[in-house]
Amino acid sequence: MLRDIVPHDANLGDKNLLVGWRALTTKGSCKTGKLMARPAHLPEYGSPPLDEVVLGIQFNPAAGYQQIRAGEVWALYRDKFPVVEEQQRLAPTFETFGPTIFARPAFQLVQGAEHDRFWFVNKAGDELIQFQSDRLLHNWRRRVGVDRPYPRFDEIAGSLSAEAKALERYFDSLEQQTLDVNQCEMTYINHFPIDDGGEFQHLSDYLKVVTFEDEPDDGAIQYRRTIRADDGTPIARLYCESNAGIRVDGAKVITLNISVRGAPRDSTIDGALAYLKEGRRLIVTEFTSITTDKAHRLWERSK
Amino acid sequence: MNANRQEWTSTGSDTHTRVIHIGFHRAIVSRPTRDWHKEVTATLNELAALPRGWDGYNGRPVRFDCAYFALSMLEAICPADGPAPQIVPGSNGDLQLEWHMPNEDIELHVRGPNKVTAWRVAGATDPDGEELQLTNDFTQVAAWIRAIMEPAVADAAAA
Repeated sequence: MLRDIVPHDANLGDKNLLVGWRALTTKGSCKTGKLMARPAHLPEYGSPPLDEVVLGIQFNPAAGYQQIRAGEVWALYRDKFPVVEEQQRLAPTFETFGPTIFARPAFQLVQGAEHDRFWFVNKAGDELIQFQSDRLLHNWRRRVGVDRPYPRFDEIAGSLSAEAKALERYFDSLEQQTLDVNQCEMTYINHFPIDDGGEFQHLSDYLKVVTFEDEPDDGAIQYRRTIRADDGTPIARLYCESNAGIRVDGAKVITLNISVRGAPRDSTIDGALAYLKEGRRLIVTEFTSITTDKAHRLWERSK
Repeated sequence: MNANRQEWTSTGSDTHTRVIHIGFHRAIVSRPTRDWHKEVTATLNELAALPRGWDGYNGRPVRFDCAYFALSMLEAICPADGPAPQIVPGSNGDLQLEWHMPNEDIELHVRGPNKVTAWRVAGATDPDGEELQLTNDFTQVAAWIRAIMEPAVADAAAA
């Protein structure tokens, strides 16, 4: 497996991006319910190969909330998300920065009470809210038989914003408080079908960061990068991983997951949404920079 | 899914039910060996399980998020052969990491995720020491840790 082909602490190299990030995270310019317009220069695809998109926040546990009240939280969303599933809790994650990080801690506290993770799923099954006592995430996912195109970032972010504000109002009704966001996370999961004997049958047909004289049968790539502000301050970490795989329907695919995680300087919901907006820009830019021109044509890149 | 593989993406809803990753069966990433890791993890587990009122008043056990954040911070600042800190619980679910050496003391008070007060006093010339308010960048503290390791490194080289 190739690992860390890009240095952990390399700069992104796009000054304009980082200027925008710093401006957003320090001033928190995203107003309630009014997300900013899509950046004009951002690459755009008519038919992106997305299979799932996750936007989420992690926050300090709310005072006065206990798991026995999880049904009250579901009631906030039940009209649109009538199906409930119980899942294993996600451990807290924090992006910290220093010279010696090699891997995230695989650390599990085994003592003490834990809150489950609940999925609140819509009827079609293509959207869900993930809730636990310190997390709220909104997933869109492609479903077989659901004739609905990818709703785009702004719609998903708008949903997360409304859901987070509803949760904040609920927590505030228990004890006066606001949601204190300590980490944001977003992930784009892409599927590239392998067309045996066709134009797209190798990793290098999709990814220009790999070239082989003799193509391997399969493989995996992982790297991560610290994203820094102009003054060198680390503000986020970008994770990228690609694997060859076989989908449940038997189709061969290459998956490409790109994530951005970090703490917003403005820990309010609006601050978190502004942070995610910039994270989207990083992910789309990274995606475009590592995928091939012929794949861009396949995905109907328009700019 | 290979349990040995370090996962970077865990919030997808069906990453592992819809796609069997060929690479997962071969990609095994070992965690770097860290002498202090096992000791610190065991201590954090104990502190997270403290009974309410453990201090004779109304002390709370160490909060999960503080414990996780503290370990993540240590991963960023402590080399594999670095000295393990002493861990002192606070009464509000917070905790303090401390290194006390003959001529130097370092204390990191984790008040919550992204809320750390770092304090160092080195030698007798500066009894008040140096204090920093930190969020998630611990580069300066890592330099402090390296500094307290230097005498040990020098001794090992001389021996």
